[in-house]
Amino acid sequence: MPILDVGYRPWDGTRTPRWTRGLVVAETGIRLVWRNAWLKRILLFMTIPALVVGAFVGAFEQTLDQSSAREAMQAMLRTPRARAVAERAGVDVQKVAKDPAQARHFAWSYLLFVLFRYPQAFGMILVLGLVAPRLVSYDLRSKGYLLYLSRPLTPAEYIAGKAGIVFFLLFMMAAVPSLLIYVAGLFLSTDSWAIAQTWDLPLRILAATLVLMIPTTAVALAMSSLTQESRYAGFAWFAFWVIGAVSYQVLWLASQVRRGMDPESMEILGEYNPWMLFSPYETLGYLQMQIFGLTRTDDWVWGPWILVVGTSVVGYALAYWRVARILKV
Amino acid sequence: MEIRDVSKWYGTYPALRDVSLDLPTGIVGLLGPNGSGKSTLIKALLGLVSVDAGSGRVLECRWPEDVRILRDQVGYLPEDDCFIEGLQGIESIQMMARLSGLKSTEALRRSHEVADFCDMGQERYRTVDTYSTGMRQKLKFAQALVHDPQWLILDEPTTGLDPAQREQLLDRIAVLAHEKGKSVLLSTHILHDVQRVCDCVVILAAGQVCVVDSLENLQRPTQAGLQISVVSDVERLHQTLANQGIAVERSGPGELRVAGQGDAILQAIWRASRQSNVLIQRVAPSRNSLEQAFLDAVSMKTPSP
Repeated sequence: MPILDVGYRPWDGTRTPRWTRGLVVAETGIRLVWRNAWLKRILLFMTIPALVVGAFVGAFEQTLDQSSAREAMQAMLRTPRARAVAERAGVDVQKVAKDPAQARHFAWSYLLFVLFRYPQAFGMILVLGLVAPRLVSYDLRSKGYLLYLSRPLTPAEYIAGKAGIVFFLLFMMAAVPSLLIYVAGLFLSTDSWAIAQTWDLPLRILAATLVLMIPTTAVALAMSSLTQESRYAGFAWFAFWVIGAVSYQVLWLASQVRRGMDPESMEILGEYNPWMLFSPYETLGYLQMQIFGLTRTDDWVWGPWILVVGTSVVGYALAYWRVARILKV
Repeated sequence: MEIRDVSKWYGTYPALRDVSLDLPTGIVGLLGPNGSGKSTLIKALLGLVSVDAGSGRVLECRWPEDVRILRDQVGYLPEDDCFIEGLQGIESIQMMARLSGLKSTEALRRSHEVADFCDMGQERYRTVDTYSTGMRQKLKFAQALVHDPQWLILDEPTTGLDPAQREQLLDRIAVLAHEKGKSVLLSTHILHDVQRVCDCVVILAAGQVCVVDSLENLQRPTQAGLQISVVSDVERLHQTLANQGIAVERSGPGELRVAGQGDAILQAIWRASRQSNVLIQRVAPSRNSLEQAFLDAVSMKTPSP
């Protein structure tokens, strides 16, 4: 029983603007998914690679003015793979061998790219597999959409609100650790010109995060909206990545064998090949590599961009159509 | 609310056919058999289904153009069992308040007030997927009220409630309408609920409006008469009254309807009771029952008030 029951009282306060109502969908969703203990564990676990990359950036900056660093850099650039990656990124290998500080932009970009490409991409697949399948399918099953849409929300705002939940998680997973690493790198650097050399990296981090979150959210929402059973959406999500990766590996290996080349000797990182369009993981990785400036600038490839933009448009349109269709019956 | 010529077709099936309505303030009961178009009409009013034709004005808003503005002023209790999985009851109410434009803290304060008003008790802190049907009805009622709407649209609000809870909910509806000045559209199958709280009744059948009238008019007898309820042998009293030349007919189990009113008829009834040795439980002016009006309307025979 309440301590004080005032009965029914009228309310005549000021309402928030209508365009902000979609944020309530996102905020409520974030509050809900945050209750998932596994999500917290995964996010906590994902700080480890970020700490490792941060330690590498710190070590790079702290040892730049030591002769041992120069020797280490020279030794590293003697390996064909490192040399190929550096040259592809437009690094003057001779100059860097003499003055490792010249490699600051390349080194930071490469480390941040590695963080995006491996731990964060795998973490993204895992976290979205845990969270995203439920976002729309639960509402379809429990008819929760009626609660949202009986208020001044359009289906587009509803979908945007649901996307906001995933955006928030991916931003916390991808952009925030990378930006913190960048700031830590600046503080750990003994060179006051470090910021002048790396000012564009925060923008590249944000761009790489957008490339990661916009298409993946579209695919996750589309899958979630196609079924009332979140487990089917979850299964489809993981199948999407696994089948794509396996198809790419098989097709790429087959093409190399047919051309009489030894797959073991091929350096595939950073090299575009059309088979990677079969794998969302490889496609996103290539785009992030472009964003971090680690691919050749003279042969800009549009195929992955067109595929990602097309997938995003189709994904969001499908999710919108599924929700809007309820109102069109 | 006034709407004109509203039509809605599901393929070749007409859910609403040229529905035109002018609804007064107060509590309006929306009656109709299954598939008569009640829920479709309600969802159409909120813009939750698109209509094929029709226009009007609802709460000073152009309908259906301004349904988004309208939704801020309407509290909707859906017939469907709908909830957001994983949220506590109080969080669900707060979320609905925020979707209607209340700021976070204000929404929480108001949610607790409304939860108290709806007698949700400590259940408000449980997740809604563990709620019983009755609790979910209370929750939906609280969600419909939390932003203090001018107009409440309640679609089968008493479904799943036990008799005591049903009476309490109807009391709350009456308080909101008569003391707080809300307009209410109450869609239900339960005629008792309509008779208990409604001022006006709309009867829909086969997607068409059959009756729009006040409850008082619908319950007014078509001719003067008395309704008699007896404890035992109704047939013996029937025979005795008929032998006295009084027009009498059976109107239900243990009930007779006598034509005419006044002292002479009353004296004749008491006399017949004594002669036939049948105990009369109740004598009251006869009414044209809402149930009859409903059945007449459904069979497309509109009763004359």
